[in-house]
Amino acid sequence: MNPQEIHDNLKAKFGAAVSDAKLDAIQPWIGITPDGILEVCQFLHGEAGFEFDFLSCLSGVDYNDGKLGVVYHLFSMPQKHKIALKAICTKEKPHVQSVSQVWGTANWHEREAYDMFGIVFDGHPDLRRILCGDDYPGHPLRKDFKVPEFYNGMKVPY
Amino acid sequence: MGILNYKFEKSNIVIASLDGLLNWARLSSLYQMQFGLACCAIEMMAASASNFDIMRFGVIPRATPRQCDVMIVSGTVTLKMATRIKRLFDQMPEPRYVISMGSCSNCGGPYWEHGYHVLKGVDRVIPVDVYVPGCPPRPEALLEGLIKLQEKVRQESLAKKTI
Amino acid sequence: MLTEFGKILIFFILGAVFVAGGLIMSWMLRPHKPYPAKLTSYECGEEPVGQAWVRFNVRFYVLALVFLIFEVEIIFLFPWALVYRELGLFAFLEMAVFLFILWVGYAYVWVKGDLNWDKPEPKVPTLNRLYQQTGRPEPARI
Repeated sequence: MNPQEIHDNLKAKFGAAVSDAKLDAIQPWIGITPDGILEVCQFLHGEAGFEFDFLSCLSGVDYNDGKLGVVYHLFSMPQKHKIALKAICTKEKPHVQSVSQVWGTANWHEREAYDMFGIVFDGHPDLRRILCGDDYPGHPLRKDFKVPEFYNGMKVPY
Repeated sequence: MGILNYKFEKSNIVIASLDGLLNWARLSSLYQMQFGLACCAIEMMAASASNFDIMRFGVIPRATPRQCDVMIVSGTVTLKMATRIKRLFDQMPEPRYVISMGSCSNCGGPYWEHGYHVLKGVDRVIPVDVYVPGCPPRPEALLEGLIKLQEKVRQESLAKKTI
Repeated sequence: MLTEFGKILIFFILGAVFVAGGLIMSWMLRPHKPYPAKLTSYECGEEPVGQAWVRFNVRFYVLALVFLIFEVEIIFLFPWALVYRELGLFAFLEMAVFLFILWVGYAYVWVKGDLNWDKPEPKVPTLNRLYQQTGRPEPARI
């Protein structure tokens, strides 16, 4: 299936959830609303003909204009096609549905996105910081993050 | 002295001071607390393996800090790990020494400018005796660092405060 | 001049002096600088949680008890073996009776199952729960 067919099928089934797409990019991507991402992913995972059973990567993005996003790279082992999904939310309401019940690997990837960007994944079984310390102030990979001067008595900058 | 009088040529007699004896015993058997954190740990493992063999200096890796003399901090020290390093260093009994191996534990290494969760040098939490530069240092460099530590141990004294 | 027991007494005294001397010398020479962080329990760098005294499975106690009984039996066998040649058949029969009594106990312990090493059941990890949810066949476990 090429990305155009995937996009048409998704648009036909979930009209409201699919927001925009860019299918002539180097990595074609389909934009999904943050509230509909779980249904779309369950459909893509289980439906015959799609069978995206491999979540290659789940990354967080800070678009530097008040928006945060989550990018999902999906690959299908039986059908050997791939697609990318983007779920964009705002900094005021950084909530995205969690897909950790569809792919087990999303569990830790979503914890990393939460740790680095502050994106809260609704429905995640165990959302806590994974890389930084539990009491680290702020979310480091946001564009407006400032390195703290002291952390637990240790001087952080050089 | 009438008894000895420089008579013994074949060196059957050894005279040592208590300091010298203790220091020799301590430097010949520096049990190390294996603290491999990142890439420098691979070089530390290479130094422990057969080609460079750190065990011929008496250095045996022990997993618990209660039985160790030297802690070789090899690898990037994150802020999360730094509290544990402090706690483990506190749990080592005296006399204890620290070898900081590699750039990351000497001064923060390649993460000195932008590292938000990297401790810029392990000497911000524990006192370091020997710094081994390199990224990563070759096993021979670590062995030289160990020999320098042995020189330092040789100068120690029971009565004078050194630690 | 000195009886045989006297020689053993000298042996014990020298042994005690040797051990005590080593301990006292190291106590005098080693540094002693305790502070609260050094005295905490070791828990791989984390703050210690819970007690260090935990409950053990009772199988260790049963094994130690059975071992102790048969170890004492072996200790009785040693001096008997040394003087066996002078005593002859009488010693053999007496020791056979002693061993037979202990073998009855051994058979009882064996039949009752006290020599079984009961390990707790291992927890087998389950595969991806999605296979049960979607009804797809699970891959074969090798």
